[in-house]
Amino acid sequence: MELTLTSAGSYPRIGDAPELQRHRRAYAQWERGEIGTEAFRKVENEVTAEVIREQIEAGVELPTDGQVRWYDPYSHLARGLEGAEINGLLRLFDTNFYFRQPVVRARIRRQEPILLGEYAAARSVSSRPVKPVLTGPYTLARGSVLEGGYPTFAALAMAYAGVLAEEVKDLAAAGAEVIQVDEPAILRHPEDLGLIREALTRLAGAKGPSSLVLHLYFGDAAPLYGELQDLPVDVLSLDFTYSPKLPRLIAEAGASKVLGLGLIDGRNTRLETPEAVFPILDQVLPKLPTGRAYLSPSCGLEFLPRDRARAKLETMRRLRDAYLGGRR
Amino acid sequence: MSRQRLQDLRLALPLLPTSTVGSFPKPPELAEARTRFARDQITPSELESLEKKATEFWIRTQEEMGVDVLVDGEQYRGDMVAYFAELMDGFQTGGLVRSYGNRYYHKPVITGAVKWPGPMTVAWWKWTQGLTQKPVKGMLTGPYTTMDWSFNDYYPSRHSACLALAREIRKEVETLIEAGAKIIQIDEPAMSVRPEEFPFAIEALHILTDGLPAYFITHSCYGAFETIYPDMLKLPVHNLDLAISNSALDLLRLFEKDPFTKDLSLGVLDVHSHTIESVDRVKERIMRGVGVLPADRLWVDPDCGLKTRTPKEAIDKLRVIVEGTRAVREALAAGRTIRPARAARAKASA
Repeated sequence: MELTLTSAGSYPRIGDAPELQRHRRAYAQWERGEIGTEAFRKVENEVTAEVIREQIEAGVELPTDGQVRWYDPYSHLARGLEGAEINGLLRLFDTNFYFRQPVVRARIRRQEPILLGEYAAARSVSSRPVKPVLTGPYTLARGSVLEGGYPTFAALAMAYAGVLAEEVKDLAAAGAEVIQVDEPAILRHPEDLGLIREALTRLAGAKGPSSLVLHLYFGDAAPLYGELQDLPVDVLSLDFTYSPKLPRLIAEAGASKVLGLGLIDGRNTRLETPEAVFPILDQVLPKLPTGRAYLSPSCGLEFLPRDRARAKLETMRRLRDAYLGGRR
Repeated sequence: MSRQRLQDLRLALPLLPTSTVGSFPKPPELAEARTRFARDQITPSELESLEKKATEFWIRTQEEMGVDVLVDGEQYRGDMVAYFAELMDGFQTGGLVRSYGNRYYHKPVITGAVKWPGPMTVAWWKWTQGLTQKPVKGMLTGPYTTMDWSFNDYYPSRHSACLALAREIRKEVETLIEAGAKIIQIDEPAMSVRPEEFPFAIEALHILTDGLPAYFITHSCYGAFETIYPDMLKLPVHNLDLAISNSALDLLRLFEKDPFTKDLSLGVLDVHSHTIESVDRVKERIMRGVGVLPADRLWVDPDCGLKTRTPKEAIDKLRVIVEGTRAVREALAAGRTIRPARAARAKASA
């Protein structure tokens, strides 16, 4: 059994020690006009390299760039689009994090690649492959205000799918072996499974040889588990923290896809123990036909303080190694 | 019927009592003093004298505006969860977590058994109530929100952490009541974020309020009430304070289907907007409430704490609330009322 350790997305960009607060200080200076955009981008690049190194040191085999440049999961992508503007703050699902809501007033169009430069920069400083992460078209549409350009919510979701398919194509062409699409909103709207299938089909058509991961979190995936197997993605990655029934469900129903096991709680500081994690691995792993799976935090780690984020990744590696070591 | 509870407590309140959700803006000199205090540049008593001055200012302001049920304005609190977490045993200050943009906060961590440390808000409540003849609400952050906004390193589950908090916060409620508080507000803004956990939010409020002689209000915001309605009516409190100003105007439509059985505080003003609503807008929103529930079960307030507004904006918002409410009272007294919706009228005696 192969269990690859991966990050789920965001990573804390600052820590509590003064030397770990460079990004926060530079951001404040940039906002006050004391440093220019170029100087701030330089700090972002340095912090990105730092969080990639930190993930790899903690044991992660497929890191992300920590989404250090992202203001939030919505506006970072929408900012790069003609036809969209950025509105006020809104709570991100059930977190204490706030995002700026995109407002779509006209047909959306990408002016230039949005994530390609960030991906290339991350790749150039990483000793391992890097997994780019995109907020999916359905979730982007759910978080947007639709004021024009499209007659319906579904049309907007498909328009986002069109734009993101271009992103996926660029990332795949740049060598991204694994590309992750986050769609937490679908867990709250199971009635839209048909729409998300259509939207993901657009992305899948653009992925080329890369592997497309669908990551679902902030909700219970168990009620949708069967139908999720049919979506046009290569890897289905799930948040287990909301889902007490999921391990048993997988044990009973198996899986037709490679699974991502979001067993490490990215929302709470308590570190996972073998007693909590091993029984789930015992239940789930024998049922996976592919002989490999990913192990990851349940969601991006930016909801934790920096030292705890690192401790979570180190715990993840210890648990994986102990589990596989014990089985041999 | 909750008017009975108010009478039992000998609280004489007018029709459509006006109140506020809790916080008022801190004057610039207090905000600055808090920063200096954090850097050990001023003494606790210097800080406290500024907090008292600001509290007295807000009490006088509420009286002058004609608000019926007053609050102390929380001039001595920062974050509504961190304030209690810093006082209670079992919590530690956590590391920095980003809330948006370049804003970070210290999220508390439960690292041991939570324990009531003795009165946390009672001295402030007593001092404030001593300034006015009008009732001052006791103000607490509820167990569900305290749990949800903290990390939990200690309790086996969110459920057990929430109930443990409820048992300890109840001691604060009891102490406030012994000190003379008759109206106690328990803020649960996080209440609706995970509908599947709502049953234990209810269980926790039972622990907090059962058998205690006070008029209890629960404030919540951030919408999504449709996901916990009508279960929300199982909360063991007399009054639910809900935002009615923006998106949740549809809330009243929910009540037409499943009649609302408690008193309702209509959060008629948007505290996150710099714009001061017109008196007519306030009137119209109250009249929507009167169209669904009998007027003697309605209170009127802003949709959240006013601390993010400037002092002038907060005062202007108070003024339109009081003027709008007066206009509706007069209209009702003159018999120019909107007929209650059928469903609500049928259940009006509940």
